Amino acid sequence: MSQAFTKAMARNIFYGGSAFFILLFLALTFQTHKAWPERDNRQNITASVSAGKVLWEENNCIGCHTLLGEGAYFAPELGNAFQRLGGKDGIKAFIMSRPKDGIPGRRSMPQFNFTEAELDAIADFLEYVSGIDTANWPPNIQG
Amino acid sequence: MPEGGPVPSATYPPGDLAIWIFILAELLVFAVFFAAYAFTRLDHVELFNHYQTTLDSDAALVNTLALITSSWLVVRGVAAVREGDHRACARWFWGAFGMGALFLFVKSLEYAHHLSAGISLSTNTFYMFYLSLTFFHFMHVMLGMVILAAVAIKAAGGGYSREDHVGVETGASYWHMVDLVWLVLFPLVYVMR
Amino acid sequence: MQYKSQAVAKPYFIAAIGLFIGQILFGLILGLQYVVGDFMFPEIPFNVARMVHTNLLIVWLLFGFMGSAYYLVPEEAERELHSPGLAILMFWIFLVAGALTVLGYLLVPYSGLAQMTGNHLLPTMGREFLEQPTITKVGIVIVALAFLYNVGMTVLKGRKTVVSLVLLIGLLGLALLFLFAFYNPDNLAKDKYYWWWVVHLWVEGVWELILGAILAFVLIKTTGVDREVIEKWLYVIIAMALITGIVGTGHHFYWIGAPEYWQWWGSIFSALEPLPFFMMTVFAFNMVNRRRRNHPNKAAVLWALGTAVMAFLGAGVWGFMHTLSPVNYYTHGSQITAAHGHMAFYGAYVMIVLTMISYAMPILRGRQAANSNLSQVVEMWSFWLMTVSMVFITLFLTGAGILQVYMQRYSTDPLPFMVVQEKIALFYWMREVAGLVFLIGLITYVASFFVGGRQPEPKATAMPEPAAG
Repeated sequence: MSQAFTKAMARNIFYGGSAFFILLFLALTFQTHKAWPERDNRQNITASVSAGKVLWEENNCIGCHTLLGEGAYFAPELGNAFQRLGGKDGIKAFIMSRPKDGIPGRRSMPQFNFTEAELDAIADFLEYVSGIDTANWPPNIQG
Repeated sequence: MPEGGPVPSATYPPGDLAIWIFILAELLVFAVFFAAYAFTRLDHVELFNHYQTTLDSDAALVNTLALITSSWLVVRGVAAVREGDHRACARWFWGAFGMGALFLFVKSLEYAHHLSAGISLSTNTFYMFYLSLTFFHFMHVMLGMVILAAVAIKAAGGGYSREDHVGVETGASYWHMVDLVWLVLFPLVYVMR
Repeated sequence: MQYKSQAVAKPYFIAAIGLFIGQILFGLILGLQYVVGDFMFPEIPFNVARMVHTNLLIVWLLFGFMGSAYYLVPEEAERELHSPGLAILMFWIFLVAGALTVLGYLLVPYSGLAQMTGNHLLPTMGREFLEQPTITKVGIVIVALAFLYNVGMTVLKGRKTVVSLVLLIGLLGLALLFLFAFYNPDNLAKDKYYWWWVVHLWVEGVWELILGAILAFVLIKTTGVDREVIEKWLYVIIAMALITGIVGTGHHFYWIGAPEYWQWWGSIFSALEPLPFFMMTVFAFNMVNRRRRNHPNKAAVLWALGTAVMAFLGAGVWGFMHTLSPVNYYTHGSQITAAHGHMAFYGAYVMIVLTMISYAMPILRGRQAANSNLSQVVEMWSFWLMTVSMVFITLFLTGAGILQVYMQRYSTDPLPFMVVQEKIALFYWMREVAGLVFLIGLITYVASFFVGGRQPEPKATAMPEPAAG
């Protein structure tokens, strides 16, 4: 068996196959770029949304939550928080209400002491995220 | 063995075993893709039937003939090298390469037509499958042509002989796979209603 | 040791094991926070502990990969390392940068760290696994470049083998793909899409090349099987890995705003991703069965076989379980993902680094080929303790995940996230117990370096000639 199976051929398949699938992947990525404008809710990325994304990142929210299902699995999904918590006001109220020293024995989100403008930005960001076409994921409002 | 007669392939399957692992993996991918197509079609028979009529089956028929011809040319090429005529082998393989180029040309015209109509992978389920399957195959034709050209160049330079032509058989095996996949793809996507 | 400069691998391996211990300790904190929600709150909140847990994993695996390369490349290239001094310098830079980053995580609130390090100049922080301050990321690139230069020059000037070539391609890909960590657009769909170019194309792409090369090297050394045969297998396995893995990236694009054709492309190609891992298992056992001699370092052979099996189970089987888009629709972002992540990382990458350490460390410490029998027995105990406890961690998380998916996503009356979390707490407790056993295994592992140091090493024995026919 092994005599008819040469190293040179195995090598060619590695290089040829890899090049082939890299090209295919790039072609599919090109298609993805063309399809995004219809799906990624880019028309609603305002200055406030961008500021909200920076706040989202600089407070490491992904370290507990998932966003569109990616992140840590310690706290609820936030891609649909806008719907689940009842819009911008619900989001802001929840973030503001967190006790500074946590809740004995239970998981609790930290108190970040955000300003009103920061709260608006985060809520705007989550509203923008909720408008991304995620192929109907999550299956229900509980995320 | 009679002097000057064709040397039968020393091994079965012909060509390098490594390419057969690759060919089997590729056939597996196509088989899964075809099965996915067939099952999805069951749920959307009318949609599929409707959009199938927007395809250019004449162009696909030309392409089918081109690939069948190319496979025949490749067979002639292998036969030639088995008789020790490496120059003829190169000519047959270049012929097959030309048929591959014809395929790409015709298929590109079809794609240009779809593109101008604004059709993409996201248009609907039928076009998603049609474009995915044919484009994935399209890229295989390109890869197959690179292999054919490499074999032809090496053959023309006397790199293969009556006794040693595993590379020719390897390239031929791959090209037949590309042809075979199209022979399933063509009726499945263009013809079957 | 055939070449003096291979000795630079030693500090890399020691640092790797040290950071590994840190990673596991933080893992236990995390596991406890799952059931005792206010544990260490607000001093070390969950997100900080998790960041330390995952970042330490990445950093210590990188230490392990670099140490492996510094050990393996001179022997393959049959010449001394291009610059041992540069390797030691980079070791200290990487260690200090890593330690400062982790201290930053622990001592400063994350937003403060972002401000201190000027994240606004080039915002790259706050994305899963890429939490490092931008300046640390730049440091990683510099260390990687210096490392590639050092190893690359050694290969270029010496014998070029398939093993060192594949390793080099893998490391080059690792460095190049990391550059996507600097791309962070406001558009979340794009951000997530290219984030996977780092994360997926690392662990299900170029890292598999590194894994394959190290495994091939250890198998060549321990089994005495002809290099030609092993290198052929290596090519076929990594070819399969990239053929399935590159387009397989699509299994991450189902629900993040990318077009829906990815559900088909991703499902089909990622469904084939277990293939290279299966081939790797067949390959490893095949080579060991065809061995020409019984290598005295039995522990290293055990780690090598363990890697092949556990990588197939963790990456292959547990990955396949939730890779098809109709299944993933329900399991995406649940404890199923966590279960897969744990066993895949342990089985593929933790174990391959420990395989290399197990093979190289006795030689780096001045022995002929192996540790004493006593030391090896302790090491093999640690193998079983860690591996079996990881299997249980995975099973408990899978149980938790199945319940979570059912109650929160699938049932007709879905329950809120936190309600479900309380209902599945029993599984988290069992996971924590399994985690403690893992820690005991790790302590045993460290102990194996300190026992039986004065005792002689076992002798290599030739395999009896196979019977004719």
